[in-house]
Amino acid sequence: MLMLALEFFSWWYGRGWKQVASSLESRLVGVLNSFSVIQLLKTLFAPWRRIITYPGASIGERFKAWGDNAFSRVVGFIVRTFVLLAAFLILIVTAALSLVELIIWPLLPPAIPILLVMGLLG
Amino acid sequence: MSTLIDVSSSRAAQARLGKTIGETGYRILQASAASLEVAALSLGLVNGQRFAWLLMSPAILCYSLAVWWKRQLSVLPPQSSDLNGRLSVDVLSRITTKTPQHPLGLWQAISNHWQANFFLHHLLLVDEVVSPHLSTDSAELDQALKLAGELAERNNSPTIELGFVVAGLMLASSNFKQQLVRMNIKPEDVEAIANWLGRNLTESRRVKHNSGGIGRDWAFGFTPLLNRFGYNVSLNIEKHNAHFGWLTESSGVVSMESALASSTGAVALVGPDGIGKTSSVYALAQRLIEGKSKQGMAYHQVIALSATDITANARRQGDLEQIMLSLAGEAAHAGHIILFFDDAQSFFGSGPGSFDGTQILLSVIQAKSVQMVLAMSSNDYQRLKSSNQSLASLLTPVVLQELPEAGVMHVLEDKAIGLENRHNVLVAYESLHEAYRLSGRYEQDEAYPGKAIKLLEQAVSYSEHSAVTASSVQKAIEQTHGVKVSSAAPAEADELLNLEDKIHERMINQTLAVGVVANALRRARAGVANPRRPIGSFLFLGPTGVGKTELAKAIAATYFGAEANMLRLDMSEYQQPEDVKRLLSDGQSDTMSLIMAVRQQPFSVVLLDEIEKAHPNILNLLLQLLDEGQLTDNSGRAVSFKDCIIICTSNAGAQTIRERVANGEAIESFQNELTDELIKSGQFKPELLNRFDETVLFRPLDQSELSQIVSLMMKEINQTLSNQNISVQLTPAAVEKIVAAGYDPRLGARPMRRTLQKAVENTVAQRILRGETKPGDQVQLDVNDLEL
Repeated sequence: MLMLALEFFSWWYGRGWKQVASSLESRLVGVLNSFSVIQLLKTLFAPWRRIITYPGASIGERFKAWGDNAFSRVVGFIVRTFVLLAAFLILIVTAALSLVELIIWPLLPPAIPILLVMGLLG
Repeated sequence: MSTLIDVSSSRAAQARLGKTIGETGYRILQASAASLEVAALSLGLVNGQRFAWLLMSPAILCYSLAVWWKRQLSVLPPQSSDLNGRLSVDVLSRITTKTPQHPLGLWQAISNHWQANFFLHHLLLVDEVVSPHLSTDSAELDQALKLAGELAERNNSPTIELGFVVAGLMLASSNFKQQLVRMNIKPEDVEAIANWLGRNLTESRRVKHNSGGIGRDWAFGFTPLLNRFGYNVSLNIEKHNAHFGWLTESSGVVSMESALASSTGAVALVGPDGIGKTSSVYALAQRLIEGKSKQGMAYHQVIALSATDITANARRQGDLEQIMLSLAGEAAHAGHIILFFDDAQSFFGSGPGSFDGTQILLSVIQAKSVQMVLAMSSNDYQRLKSSNQSLASLLTPVVLQELPEAGVMHVLEDKAIGLENRHNVLVAYESLHEAYRLSGRYEQDEAYPGKAIKLLEQAVSYSEHSAVTASSVQKAIEQTHGVKVSSAAPAEADELLNLEDKIHERMINQTLAVGVVANALRRARAGVANPRRPIGSFLFLGPTGVGKTELAKAIAATYFGAEANMLRLDMSEYQQPEDVKRLLSDGQSDTMSLIMAVRQQPFSVVLLDEIEKAHPNILNLLLQLLDEGQLTDNSGRAVSFKDCIIICTSNAGAQTIRERVANGEAIESFQNELTDELIKSGQFKPELLNRFDETVLFRPLDQSELSQIVSLMMKEINQTLSNQNISVQLTPAAVEKIVAAGYDPRLGARPMRRTLQKAVENTVAQRILRGETKPGDQVQLDVNDLEL
């Protein structure tokens, strides 16, 4: 029993704590991937879903195509920016929660008897 | 007794605790932690702080234990490189201080785990067969655990899984290995199953790859038309979480990716049916949708197009071209589409449901606007090169090579898991071997692994007690090909052992010839004959009308089930050099060629009459056929003769046989002399005669044998008349008269049938018409009744 208790503490303050730290990284990478952050940054000003108008021969047609394409890029930029903002917000929240977990983690085992004593003593 | 597994180690203790808690305990701990936390928070809010602290303490305890179980106890990562540091949690948790440290003790401790059952089920074994053959010698356990460690290393497994320990126990026991051999199981199969299990474990622990997230496709265009006419391979792979394993890293897939990224971006994926062209493209699609591409094609999607679907949607002239152009335009505009033309030849106007889109494809490829893969067979690629050089030159060929046996077995193992889940059956390992072996022998038109997979799938329908065994595979091939491959059943074995009697029911005498042929058939059916050559090959020498053809027919009827299973070619019609082409025609110009006939009916007696009259080039082909058991047709496709019995007949030496038999010599006494004579006279080359399994001499028939032939023919006549309930008998004098009239020294018994027809059938026919013979009558014909 004592051996198992020692193993528990050894894991909690060793490999277990490391796992919490590494899960911080994987959670952040997960958020970046789920929101396609790298892709969106690379294509921030690209036309939305390639909805573009090919320019014609006349000046008027070219001007119209330029206007259409600029609009498509603006739509793309707005959508991507909103998604990126949401991603960064979630990234910050995730990082904060993970950091809290990392800090609280070593406090949990001693908290068990302390809280028990506090409860009993009132 | 030495202690090999340290049951008192902290790792072993953790494993046992983990097993005690189990998945149920973990859930209870989680639920308890959550409930206590909620209760504590609630009490805290209503100013019951003291009780809140009291509840938080066990809540944290439950949470801590649950986390410890999930991240440590249930997985128990390796601790050190020695045995005790690497044994998996499944093994350690099942061993206690009471477990005897010997092979039998360990087996009894772990045999109820699913990984142990994986071995038992796939080897068709039960515990009662394994336990008695495992020793109680701890030295053997040491050997078993070493083998298990080696298997883990070979499978790149950080821990020694329970399955590897099972394989180690089986392989370290010489007693058990002998038992396996007795059960016709190769000990190597145990290792193969361990590797199969290792791959499954790796696969089950595979971390799902990032597939791009929500904004993956926002920089690419919409593809409404392609979605309507095509099948998005990539999105379906993503949706169903399909995994193509090692195939995604195979040389074919990597070459395809490089070829798509370079040059024109158009690939001709070349290989025979069944080699895995479609699977390779699917594996490429998986690789790309998981963003693994190093060629700038990450998240590109593969869309498969079918000529039939496109044709079905074209209503007017010119619609096809318009649809094709629109599809290509949409793919080019979208920017991340790879078009996949499975059965590409149907887009070049070849085959059913096809149309000629060559010019459209040519212009699209020349513009380098769309990446595409065109899958086709080698023959179709060659045809494209000769018919449309400009298009072919723009395609980068990627030729897929047939997998070696080990590779095919891996594919079959993966397939077996799918079949087991889909059909709720068990696929025994022996069935995989059998599917490989029999598909190699009987499915000549397809390549591995496709043909073996197809056969294994067919075998599911023949499963017994929910198990697909070697016998299921044999039944599947017997059903689809009409061949006998399973062991002869007692009734059939009895028939084979008495084959001579069976043949003699329709053949008179010629015991030497019948015996030789019967022996060859028994060898083939018992699996003793060389499987790379025809079942049997014989040269029948003798005068006309002595039973050479009749014996060939008897073989077709007794061995292949019907006289119709005989392909007969008169070689006197193949005397010119150009006749070789006719013989080997692939069926496009001559549907009656030997090759076509054997392709359609591969289990036959091939009777080549008057072989000595064939052109020497044809005799050279015959050498190849007898040696290799196959011929290659004009278009380069091999056709197997390994399930044929080749019989060549010749009248060469007939005069000598007749004279020497007339002088009272036994036919066996001058066989070698006659053969030498035929070689010296240049009628046969020695290399040809040596290729036959046997040269069989037929002797002329004597008077009594001819009488028996008449009796046999009368049986056939009575068989026909039995429909009218009439039977005919001949008196001995009548038989004698028919023999005298029907025998010709030059033609043997050949005129006998005509004579009998004239003498008996005509007579009976007239009597029936005159009303003299009625149903139920027994007619006896004497000499005077016969119309000769």
